[in-house]
Amino acid sequence: MIKSIKIGALAVAGALALAACSGGSDSAGGDALVVGTDLPIQGASADASKSTNEVVALVLEQAGGKAGDYTVTIKEYDDSTAAKGAWDDAACAKNAQDHVANTAEVAVMGTYNSGCAKIIIPVLNQAGMLMVSHANTYPGLTVEWDKGEPGLYYPSGARNYARVIAHDGFQGTAAAQFIYNEQKKTHCAVMDDTQAYGKGIADAVAIEFARLGGTVDRYSWDVKQPSYTATFEKIKASGADCVYFGGIFDNNGVQLVKDKTAVLGDNTKFFSMAPDGFSGYPVLRDMPEAEGLWMTFAGKSLDGIKKAGGVGGKFVEDYIAKYGAEPNSSYAMYGGVAMQVILKAIAASDGTRQGVLDAVFAGEPICLTAEESVSGMGFCLTQETGDVDTVTMTLQQMTGGVETDIKSIEIS
Amino acid sequence: MSNTSTAAHHAASNNRKWAIGFTIAVLTVFIINQFILPSAPKQVVEFFNAWFSLTSMAEIMVWILMALGLNVIVGYAGLLDLGYVAFWALGGYVAGWLMSPFLSQFQINFFGNPRPGLEMGIHFSFFFVLILGGVFTAIWGIIIGGPTLRLKSDYLALVTLGFGEIIPQFMVNGGDVAGLNLTNGAQGIGGLDDIKFLGYTIGTFSLPEKFLMISMLAGAMIFFSIRLRDGRLGRAWLAIREDELAASMMGVPLWRTKFASYAIGAVGGGIGGVAFATLVGGVYADRFNFVISIIILSMVVLGGMGNVWGVVVGATVLAWVNSVGLVQFGVVINNALGTKINFPSYQFLLFGLLLVLMMLFRREGFIPEARIRMVMNEEKLEDEEKITDETKIASH
Repeated sequence: MIKSIKIGALAVAGALALAACSGGSDSAGGDALVVGTDLPIQGASADASKSTNEVVALVLEQAGGKAGDYTVTIKEYDDSTAAKGAWDDAACAKNAQDHVANTAEVAVMGTYNSGCAKIIIPVLNQAGMLMVSHANTYPGLTVEWDKGEPGLYYPSGARNYARVIAHDGFQGTAAAQFIYNEQKKTHCAVMDDTQAYGKGIADAVAIEFARLGGTVDRYSWDVKQPSYTATFEKIKASGADCVYFGGIFDNNGVQLVKDKTAVLGDNTKFFSMAPDGFSGYPVLRDMPEAEGLWMTFAGKSLDGIKKAGGVGGKFVEDYIAKYGAEPNSSYAMYGGVAMQVILKAIAASDGTRQGVLDAVFAGEPICLTAEESVSGMGFCLTQETGDVDTVTMTLQQMTGGVETDIKSIEIS
Repeated sequence: MSNTSTAAHHAASNNRKWAIGFTIAVLTVFIINQFILPSAPKQVVEFFNAWFSLTSMAEIMVWILMALGLNVIVGYAGLLDLGYVAFWALGGYVAGWLMSPFLSQFQINFFGNPRPGLEMGIHFSFFFVLILGGVFTAIWGIIIGGPTLRLKSDYLALVTLGFGEIIPQFMVNGGDVAGLNLTNGAQGIGGLDDIKFLGYTIGTFSLPEKFLMISMLAGAMIFFSIRLRDGRLGRAWLAIREDELAASMMGVPLWRTKFASYAIGAVGGGIGGVAFATLVGGVYADRFNFVISIIILSMVVLGGMGNVWGVVVGATVLAWVNSVGLVQFGVVINNALGTKINFPSYQFLLFGLLLVLMMLFRREGFIPEARIRMVMNEEKLEDEEKITDETKIASH
């Protein structure tokens, strides 16, 4: 036993020695304030997260590494595990505690997945720490949606979470209105991938489409299914004239789109539409079956940002110059917008967590003008919910293997 | 002293040493985090947070609970279970149902700790929910045990695999069961109550206390696992594991004994599920996939099937590597070499390699149970005996 205790003591001493020698994974130094980015670095979203981290870093670099009088550094957190290949609830819970434990950290940029945000927001809320997401589109995080929401996520009673992208309520509503009013479809098969995002947006489409007077049939596609022909045969038999893919392309989207075309015909014969969970995938662009697919993006797409030029277009050029290729996801650009909001909040604060939080949720609202924002879109954050006050929805169609912007809809 | 009592004495002494080691390890982690780190230099705090964060340590304890539960089924009774994640899910959802505002059609508070403004729903005491979680999963253990009674090896594995797929799928699709929202589907159930113990709230940031509590649950599971193995039921499980037919001929009631292993094994999953849901603050259907069942099984196999301490070591090592170990080794190596390798993405490569190496050189696991070691080395022992006999004959 004494031998074991000696070994244990040696191990602790060794650990402390290693602690003295090893550096952390962040580049924080001196009294710099830290902004954490919380993204899934493993699995299907890894590339998008890598781009987002690069965009965030470039935004900070272009700001001279400063926000007002404060020096700012970034610390990257991974909320996924290789075992799951996606965000992981335990990793999110751990990150939440780590954000709070890092006393120099004043705000968090992220998360990518709304499910992970549901775990992190309440923890940061109790620590009075700001979180700004670039990609969480689940409505219940900020507005009344499901039982107890959004109060469930704010145990302190005060808000600490904002997002720079429109929630699915807007995207689903816009999609349903486009299908019913402009495409004149009256019977829609609304599918979901059984996951949080997919179900949420499919619900939003179904509710609005039914409200407009259309007929809705609900279906789900399981990512593990080898074929969806049986489901599409059912849709064919139901007499539906439209199909909506509520979900993300990662969830066996290749098979889904192929089987839809095989059973119902291509997109010129049978109308199909998808949310931004299908945007930014080179594999989808290369599929002949995807030609003519309609899509919505809850913001300005990367193509739209580039074409609009200005600050956004210039930023994309700078990004290409630094990293050799353009960001591989429109969401990555919104990571930059979220970082701009955080930097503005830090500049307007006294450098404390509470000060940064108050800069967003008390006093003057935080606004970015179209001339400032790397998305090229101006907006203010509403202090009651943390949502943006101006929503731009981009309607796209796949033409010639490119997600082509058809029109932008501004909702104020 | 007879050989049997000497062996028993040796085993008891061995268990005592391991138990003391486990207690010291848990107390060390608790004391460091509760008393030393708050006033330690920044670098030391950062080091411990990176390599041994308390959330990861608490998560490891949950994995130990799971692995010990599965060890009863696989390690003791020799029944291959590929769907153990279902018990984790069931335990988690019991916590979701009974410790949150989710079932808002009710407003029941039984020594619970609802958050202000979220009093709707059912709010039972954490400790009561632990018991209910254990009982609920035990019942499901019996339900899954039923159709498997006549099955062996591959067929048994397939049935349990099916169970492990059905339950999580039910949780995903349970948002609308005949118009009733049972699981909130893919959105999961969030906003779980904080634990209340003797009037003291173990809240979001009371991590050392949470760690200590989950460690005590793991400790209790270790204690019961050892006592069970040494008891009549445990010996019956081991007999079934070694030779079902022989056990039956010796009067071991197969039906009852197998049922018991599923029911008792499931309790570990249920309790672990409740503990994990409390740690994360909710229960989300995304977690419960086949890979989790395989990881728990690997913890049992790599640690040493049937040996409680082997399983504890297996669970600790694999859970730590999965949670922070590989990430931090990656940081150290990348910093040293100036590379940008994403080490966690190679997790399954390393994991597979480890499994192959273990199967080649140490099939019985890190710390094997004596019987398993004997069975695994039977061929080797027979060869040695043969050589000895031949040598004796030659010398005559």
